[in-house]
Amino acid sequence: MKKLQLRYVAVTYPITGKLNEEVETSARTLRELIAELDCKYGGFLEMFINGQTGELNLNTMIYYGEDKRVPVAVLDIDQPISHGARITFW
Amino acid sequence: MKIRSNSDQRILRVNLSDRRISTETLPREWTSTYLGCRGVNARLLYDEVKKGTDPFGEENTLYIGTGPMDGLPVGMGRLSIACKSPRGTVAEGSAGGFFGPELRRAGYDYVAISGKSENPVYLSIEDDKVEIRDAGHLWGLTTYETDAALRRDIPDPDTQLRYIGPAAENLVHASVIMGNLNSCGGRAGCGEVMGSKKLKAIAVRGSGGIKPHDYDAFVEAYKVFRQRVDIRTSRDMWSPVWTTYGAPVLARLFTDIGNLMTRNAAEMSWDYDKATAIGCENFLDNYAYKSKSCFCCPTPSCQKLYSIPSGKYRGFKGGNYWAGQPITFGSIIDNGSIDLLLVLSGLCNQFGLDIFHIGFTLSWAMECFENGLITTADTDGIEMRFGAFDEDALVDLMGKTARREGFGELLAMGCSEAAKIIGKGSDKYCLTVKGQELEAIAERNLLMVALGVAVSEVGPDHTRWYPPYPCNPSLISREELQSLGIDLDLKLAFDTRNPEEKGKLLRWFTISRAIVESMPSCVFLVRDTLGFDMRPWWKLFISATGVELSYEEFIKSGERLMNLDRLFNVREGFGRKDDRVPYRMSHEDVLNFGYKKIDDTVLNKMLDEYYTANGWDLNTTVPSKEKLHELGIHDVRHELNTNGVEAGS
Repeated sequence: MKKLQLRYVAVTYPITGKLNEEVETSARTLRELIAELDCKYGGFLEMFINGQTGELNLNTMIYYGEDKRVPVAVLDIDQPISHGARITFW
Repeated sequence: MKIRSNSDQRILRVNLSDRRISTETLPREWTSTYLGCRGVNARLLYDEVKKGTDPFGEENTLYIGTGPMDGLPVGMGRLSIACKSPRGTVAEGSAGGFFGPELRRAGYDYVAISGKSENPVYLSIEDDKVEIRDAGHLWGLTTYETDAALRRDIPDPDTQLRYIGPAAENLVHASVIMGNLNSCGGRAGCGEVMGSKKLKAIAVRGSGGIKPHDYDAFVEAYKVFRQRVDIRTSRDMWSPVWTTYGAPVLARLFTDIGNLMTRNAAEMSWDYDKATAIGCENFLDNYAYKSKSCFCCPTPSCQKLYSIPSGKYRGFKGGNYWAGQPITFGSIIDNGSIDLLLVLSGLCNQFGLDIFHIGFTLSWAMECFENGLITTADTDGIEMRFGAFDEDALVDLMGKTARREGFGELLAMGCSEAAKIIGKGSDKYCLTVKGQELEAIAERNLLMVALGVAVSEVGPDHTRWYPPYPCNPSLISREELQSLGIDLDLKLAFDTRNPEEKGKLLRWFTISRAIVESMPSCVFLVRDTLGFDMRPWWKLFISATGVELSYEEFIKSGERLMNLDRLFNVREGFGRKDDRVPYRMSHEDVLNFGYKKIDDTVLNKMLDEYYTANGWDLNTTVPSKEKLHELGIHDVRHELNTNGVEAGS
């Protein structure tokens, strides 16, 4: 299991009801993590993944950073996620 | 009701020295050549405010411009306010609200105010009835007090107002022109110039109407525009966030990604808990009580009225918490109290102070204090330390700065001038370009921002180009760009820390922004591909005005404006030597994020690319003879030559 630091900004905050959390997950990719979060926070998947293309919605953004590295904007929703990563959902 | 034409533009001229009032109609071709608003203001400023004009003299003219889209649901009530800055450059800043449409309903598109009054006055415009009225009872009042007093003088609640506060009356650096209590404009010195003319306010009420020339075509164009900005359909990461939360949302994200100027930008990341405390979620949950938008705007979250619910500032009310405040009254001075932040910001609005001037001058003073360059003997006894200051003293400093009292006199000069007084190398801590303080967006990790800040004719102002930096390369393909006449290597252009292609990208965003501000419309509606693809704007403009204007000529109007701003500055002696970034940005790396300083090699590479793309001389930055001909403004060449600027024969 991986531990992740998740941050919810602005329009994601009303869905999660919280600004930050630490989660434990077996998700291998961002796509899997978003699907997992959608079970807890209904609407999360729809917000981030385009239902028609399966790609990241262009009116959202996710920043992904691993320990001691500057978080960068995610372009590939299937990118792997690592233990200790900090992920900001925008 | 008299319906205004959107293709004929009228100027109301007011000379405050001899109290002459007159009107004139601009040549109709100006609507296709300069569009309106900022474009027309730039031409008027270049033609009428001659080289060497004293910024505080009778000859400096303050232009308040609307444009053909004002009063239609795209203009968003935008105004362009322009004059020669006390720093010698072009001064221009836009503002929203309702004043622009009301001025057009009164029958005017521009107000040009020259001369100087001996006593405080305000200008009252009610259709053809234009009067210069005594403002002795208003002088010295805050902007809030002025608004209330004028509304007692002029009971019609639909009268729209613009006014200055005590800061502009006292010629405080970068002071602004306010309206609707919390809407400011004209940051680069327009407030100071208005104060120097002893013009306290302008009130306008009109009875005319405005409608598009071709209603059906306008509605069709508007549907496309709305789709690009709408929260559900826009392909833009900022649209939902801006629309519902506003720009303070940046604080939490920026501190994580090393983009938050902290402690006078010596650091680029802040304490996350402090960033959360001043963040938009806390603000909306506990402080905001009402949204307020500009004329016909579809993004209602832009301005929010707030009230502090508890604590020592309980009951303090203000408005407009936007991208600047989390930096200027938060991270840059290391203040994690949202209460104090909102009080400082609200007092800036009341005194008519520029938040960027105040924030960056306070942070300069704190760094000087901590390094022993100034002491309590200079600061009226205040311990100016990052994050460890006396809150009450800081609050008092707002009024002292606006009134130029004690330590406030030094702060009122602005950072660059204050550093000249203090000396001892304190200029190294100034975050200014062309005498103007930076704003919210950092430079060392976003090289296009660094270039934009360096070359901006009015000093740092990221709204001179928009978006401030490209966010998602999936938005548009190279082929689509080429079909729009834009030749860019997108991979390089979107690489924020590679200097390649930044000159060309900035040039395009500056041109597109100039067009939007000349229609006018609002920077925060440049969403989706609206910064690249100008066809929706073009269709709105031609359907609203009825002017015959090709898409290519429409684009050229933005380039023309960009060149006129540059020409004004080069005539005043500005050039490549002034297109710089602050000392800190060019001499210090950001170690914990791996951002390198923007040394001369990097900056010069970007400047060369920018000047070359523009057709400007690499040393003087004067536009080439061919460029001036291409833009149809070759008439300025002779005028430049006679003013000692080498512009070819």
